[in-house]
Amino acid sequence: MIPVLLAAHLAGIVGASVAGYRSARAGLLVASIPPAITTIWALGQLNSAPQQAFYELHWVQGLGLSLRFSVDELALLMTILVSGIGVLVFFYSTGYFGSTAGPDARFPSSLLAFSGSMLGLVWADSVWTLFIFWEFTSITSFLLVGYKHVEDSVRIAARRALMITGAGGLSLLAGLLLLVRESNTTILDQISPATGTVGTVAAVLVLIGAATKSAQVPFHVWLPGAMAAPTPVSAYLHSATMVKAGVFLMAVMGPIFANAAVWKTVGAACGIASMLWGGIGALRHRDAKLMLAWGTVSQLGLLVTLFAIGSPKAVFAGIALLLAHALFKATLFLVVGEIDIRTGTRDIAELGGLWRAMPLTCAVATAAGLSMAGAPPLLGFMAKEAALEAVLGLAGAEQLVFSCAVILGSVLTVAYTTRFLITVFGPGPATVVSPPRLAMTAPAAVLSIAGIAGYIFVAAPNRLVSNAAIELNAAATYSLIAWPGLKTAFVVSLAILLVGSLLGLAISRQRVRPTPGSQGADWADAAIDGILTVAPSLTARIQHGSLPVYVVTMTAMAALATIPFLSEIPYLQLDLWNSLIEPFLAIVIVGSAIAGTFVGSRLGAALALGAVGLGMSALFVSYGAPDLALTQLLVETIIVVAFVLGLGRLRQSFPPVDTTWKAARIVIAGAGGIGVTLAIAAASTSPTGTPPLADVSEQAVEEGGGKNLVNVILTDLRALDTLGEVVVLATVAIGILALARINQTEVA
Amino acid sequence: MTASRSSIVHVGIRAASPLAITVGVYLFFAGHSQPGGGFAAGLVLGAVITLRTVTGLQRPTNATGLLSSGIVIVTATAAAPLIWGGTFFDQRVVSVELPVLGTVKSGSALIFDAGVTIIVIGLVIALLDGLSTSEPSAIETDAEGRP
Amino acid sequence: MSIALLLTVGGLTTTGLYLITARSLSRIILGFSLLGHAAVLSLLIAGGSPRAAPIAGTAEQMSNPVPQALALTAIVISFGLTLFLLALAGRQQTLSGDDLVEDDLEDGRIANAQSSEEDL
Repeated sequence: MIPVLLAAHLAGIVGASVAGYRSARAGLLVASIPPAITTIWALGQLNSAPQQAFYELHWVQGLGLSLRFSVDELALLMTILVSGIGVLVFFYSTGYFGSTAGPDARFPSSLLAFSGSMLGLVWADSVWTLFIFWEFTSITSFLLVGYKHVEDSVRIAARRALMITGAGGLSLLAGLLLLVRESNTTILDQISPATGTVGTVAAVLVLIGAATKSAQVPFHVWLPGAMAAPTPVSAYLHSATMVKAGVFLMAVMGPIFANAAVWKTVGAACGIASMLWGGIGALRHRDAKLMLAWGTVSQLGLLVTLFAIGSPKAVFAGIALLLAHALFKATLFLVVGEIDIRTGTRDIAELGGLWRAMPLTCAVATAAGLSMAGAPPLLGFMAKEAALEAVLGLAGAEQLVFSCAVILGSVLTVAYTTRFLITVFGPGPATVVSPPRLAMTAPAAVLSIAGIAGYIFVAAPNRLVSNAAIELNAAATYSLIAWPGLKTAFVVSLAILLVGSLLGLAISRQRVRPTPGSQGADWADAAIDGILTVAPSLTARIQHGSLPVYVVTMTAMAALATIPFLSEIPYLQLDLWNSLIEPFLAIVIVGSAIAGTFVGSRLGAALALGAVGLGMSALFVSYGAPDLALTQLLVETIIVVAFVLGLGRLRQSFPPVDTTWKAARIVIAGAGGIGVTLAIAAASTSPTGTPPLADVSEQAVEEGGGKNLVNVILTDLRALDTLGEVVVLATVAIGILALARINQTEVA
Repeated sequence: MTASRSSIVHVGIRAASPLAITVGVYLFFAGHSQPGGGFAAGLVLGAVITLRTVTGLQRPTNATGLLSSGIVIVTATAAAPLIWGGTFFDQRVVSVELPVLGTVKSGSALIFDAGVTIIVIGLVIALLDGLSTSEPSAIETDAEGRP
Repeated sequence: MSIALLLTVGGLTTTGLYLITARSLSRIILGFSLLGHAAVLSLLIAGGSPRAAPIAGTAEQMSNPVPQALALTAIVISFGLTLFLLALAGRQQTLSGDDLVEDDLEDGRIANAQSSEEDL
């Protein structure tokens, strides 16, 4: 089923483009079909017995290059999120762009392309598959962030997002390569736990990849900028799915890096910093969408912290929060998009009193917001409880540090949630709104209700979360608890809610400050600009346009590459010569070659080349290769005639050459010659088998009907090579004729 | 063209031509069991044409015709087995009694080799054609208007 | 393994590399031909020690025919390449009166654009 679903996405991209040319709405509806099918399939998988869907497409078997997918429990949870929210977002987009929107093929097809890439990423079971789809999500995200590409700021934001996530992708690739080298497999499930220095380096590299994708401090600067995308994109990519890829990666890689201390410390440091800095950012901004974006940084920080801790309870809590966050954060983004469209602004200074004008939206947003704050009776509450229990259950210094951080982060979360809800919907002069659009309200409502239903019918989310958690960590046999009773975590939770809402109230009563500057983003842009200035100057140096210098550079590099061969030559096995004629012919050949190199006249050079050819022919005879000798002799004749004919009208002598440059060329050519000699000596003294002479001989006589083995190989056994060869000759002939014809027409 | 006007050279080449052509044909047929083959045969025949062209006995013409027929022959030999259900380049072997050479056991490989020979001859003719048209005297005369 | 043959390969490669770094196209052609010889010889060396010609039924110990077949293809391809380069040299002669390989114009533009701070 996996290839069918992926193919359906590919077909959907084409279909959405075609339909999009007629109208954007049609394109969006077509694009929603593949995610809908995938959602239904994934829900069906839930009910069936726990059996993994698996698919492998081999490319190069020996190198382990294959597209390999397997849908385990965590992937199934992600699939439901990616495709389920995807369907809602496509539906929402029809409302977002409105009935008056013109044709648009780009948006539906790129959004669907993202959806398919994300599925490939969560299903990936080999490191190459994982990396390829990881990069696909970066690229499709770039296309979607840059959707309104006519604006400068949008292009810069898109570029920033691409460069940061792309660089993280390279870091991830390096980390994966280290892991592959250590455990000799490219299959994710079979990679052995990393240890030692290699494990530490790989852990840091993979963490960088995860942190860039999940917008963790200090790489978070691209996420607020990515809010330049249309709101459906922000809701889908930059809150519910793509930014979760980093967290997902940490969840999958957690068991592999369980022994690497740096995984926990660096990961947790990154996560805690993001959790706190994101929360502060959400309290500083006045654009409702940016508040949510900074909130996402903070929430992702909590997720990264939990997966970095990696204890069974933390893993369980992380997955629960992953699910809850996707639901409530997507809802809130969808709500902001609706407010943006219906009021024309997202600035909280201009918004207010929307609870009267948009009561349904207000209810939806409140339910989602309370879930984000971790208030009962909502899914977010149970997830937050699990997270608190996880950090409170740690021991010693860890307990202190992580508990304080998570409590502080949660207080900030409650505060910015309160601020968001009060400033947008709360008391104040009612903002003028345009008529409601059902297509925009309904998807948000569905997601919001899912958050409530998840609390009431706790068994359903519990099945998803606990199965995925057990798969990652066999000890994570927990379940979501709807009403824990007066336990420590619950008391702490209530305290967080109280303090946080008071803080949020206090801040929202203050006068709205102007938008703070984004220094981090400016620095990132300056760095990217720096790359863009350095790159051309470097290119100008490397790509200078002089053919001789290119060749000299390549020769020097190739010569250096043969140094390892030095130790592999069995010097004692070398004979001086096979037969006495060999040294004589060698002197003739090399002597003629040297003469041809330094002789001043072109005719002399051509004759020297002829002498080399004759020497080669003689050598072939002594080597038991009469066919080669005959052919070489005939070829040489034609070439000498061609030289005389073709170069007859050139100046008699060669132009003079600069002495230093000549010396450099001699040195490099000498190095290249030595390198080739060494490489061939090493290669031909260690054969990996004996030539199948008897087989070839028998085959030639039986099948080819000939005794001259070389000829039978050329015309029968390997006739395809010869076919290619004569096609080359014919092409050369046509080329020569064409060049001659140009001459004629110009002369005429 | 470096055409020699010496009549001795002319007569010599005229006399040698049939001999060289015979050598070429021999190489072509012998190739399957002895050193030789289609490529060598083509080069010998090409060398004859080169000699005759250089001495002004004939002018190089119609390289494209040879090239295209050669390509058609080799691809047809390669693809023909597909028609009667064989694989690409599936060879047929037959025994033929020939004078001088005796029993020649050969097959479709021989046709393939013939295509190779024709292409090599075409290449040599194209070379002569191409390089002789850009002859210095002709260009200088035309470009600078000197007689 | 014969040192004489190895040195021949080395000598041919050295002279060939030296020649293809020249500016004159006819020298580059010579260089390519010499490199072609070196490649053919390497193929033969890789095929093992010299024995009798690989004609079935004539000798107990034959040379390895596979490298010879490869070498024959190499000779032919290097032949075609040489002829084509010769035609190219002739064309260059018609255009510029000489057969020198000039620096690549497009690459030169990139270098110049950088030095004059132009926007590409």
